[in-house]
Amino acid sequence: MKSDLHFKESNITFLKLFVFLILSISFLFLDKDLQYGNKVRNNISYLIQPVYSLANFPSKLNDNIQTFFKSKSELMEENKILKKKIQIQSGIIQKIPSLTEENNRLKKLLDSSTSVNSSRILLAELIRVNLSPFSNKIIINKGSDKNLSIGQTVIDSTGILGQISEINQTFSVVTLITDPGHALLGVNTRTKKRIVISGTGDNRKLKAMYIALNEDVVEGDSLITSGLDNVFPEGYLIGKISKINKDMNQDFLDVSVVPSSALSSNREVMVLW
Amino acid sequence: MVIINKVHIVTIVFLMIGIILNLIPLPDLLAATKPPILLLILIYWSLAFPKHISLTYAFVSGVIMDILLITPIGYHALCFTITIYLILIYYPQMRLQSSWNKMASLLIILIPYFLMSTAVNNILGISFNLVHIIFSVLISVIIWPGLFNVLRFIRQKYTS
Repeated sequence: MKSDLHFKESNITFLKLFVFLILSISFLFLDKDLQYGNKVRNNISYLIQPVYSLANFPSKLNDNIQTFFKSKSELMEENKILKKKIQIQSGIIQKIPSLTEENNRLKKLLDSSTSVNSSRILLAELIRVNLSPFSNKIIINKGSDKNLSIGQTVIDSTGILGQISEINQTFSVVTLITDPGHALLGVNTRTKKRIVISGTGDNRKLKAMYIALNEDVVEGDSLITSGLDNVFPEGYLIGKISKINKDMNQDFLDVSVVPSSALSSNREVMVLW
Repeated sequence: MVIINKVHIVTIVFLMIGIILNLIPLPDLLAATKPPILLLILIYWSLAFPKHISLTYAFVSGVIMDILLITPIGYHALCFTITIYLILIYYPQMRLQSSWNKMASLLIILIPYFLMSTAVNNILGISFNLVHIIFSVLISVIIWPGLFNVLRFIRQKYTS
């Protein structure tokens, strides 16, 4: 009798295992094709948000404690440096209107029709939660309530970060340019040659693809966005070429690029329109 | 019946704590080699109450993890379900083992978990670093006795 019961139970367990395996595998493949994970998250984002804030709390607390215990002299020093920085930058900005005018005039002369797109900037803060170590995604605290849309560019003060890949009510997910499934079209500023730049999964490394063996690339060349992929606006810094590996047996050069933005140690980012 | 209800409540509370612990930001290197803390908590509870804390818990908490960690839905659910099934098969042996033996058994049970997750990573084209994964398994095994004792203390205090 007892063994009968045990048998029955293990049968049920096996059935459960079977059902759950089928369910999760079908979920996986459905999600890969239909992206319904996004919809699920969107519908219950009011439940997810508090969990994220709770997980974010320790690092926020740490920040607050650090600012609280900063001495006055330190703050004054920092203030001085920031003021200097603003002065220098506003000095540079003064030249921009005349430069745009000159640029437009020259473009007219050349009969080219590309226009400098005036972009609006929205400041967003990172929600620092530890996603899976294999994911190259970050979460920012602005969502559909601020009229964001999928595909918008996210930058920080030093370069391009990535694009928005998922939007929820109060937060959205940014896929970084280092994601292995992500590629964008850049331009070498020195030679004006276009280069496809793809992510590697490593936060400090990108790779430039399909560069012919005899092409003119040098370590230290900086790459900017080309604007030709219709996702990223033109002229933002992507990174610098750090290493070129020439192997005559391969079809293309093996070129590593270091992203210019601090992809892992960011706090505030900007969303472009 | 009251005790069983208590078991469920305590388990759910601890799984929630595990989810939050999983999400707390860490420095880069630590984050990469972070042990699957929620899975370890789940393993403890299913070792303690295999009749009550079983595959349904594994599947549901896996789906919750997928939603929160922005992985494809089903990824953690699949890995958790398989691991907890292994626990359900081996819990009579594992309960009798000494602490060192338990660490070894945990290693054996976690290896299929990580093989499964790397296989799914491969199929879905998610990149991963094998060294980090190996370190993650080793760290899980090292912290297991401590975690086990803490959770056992809590279990004896609150569920009996």
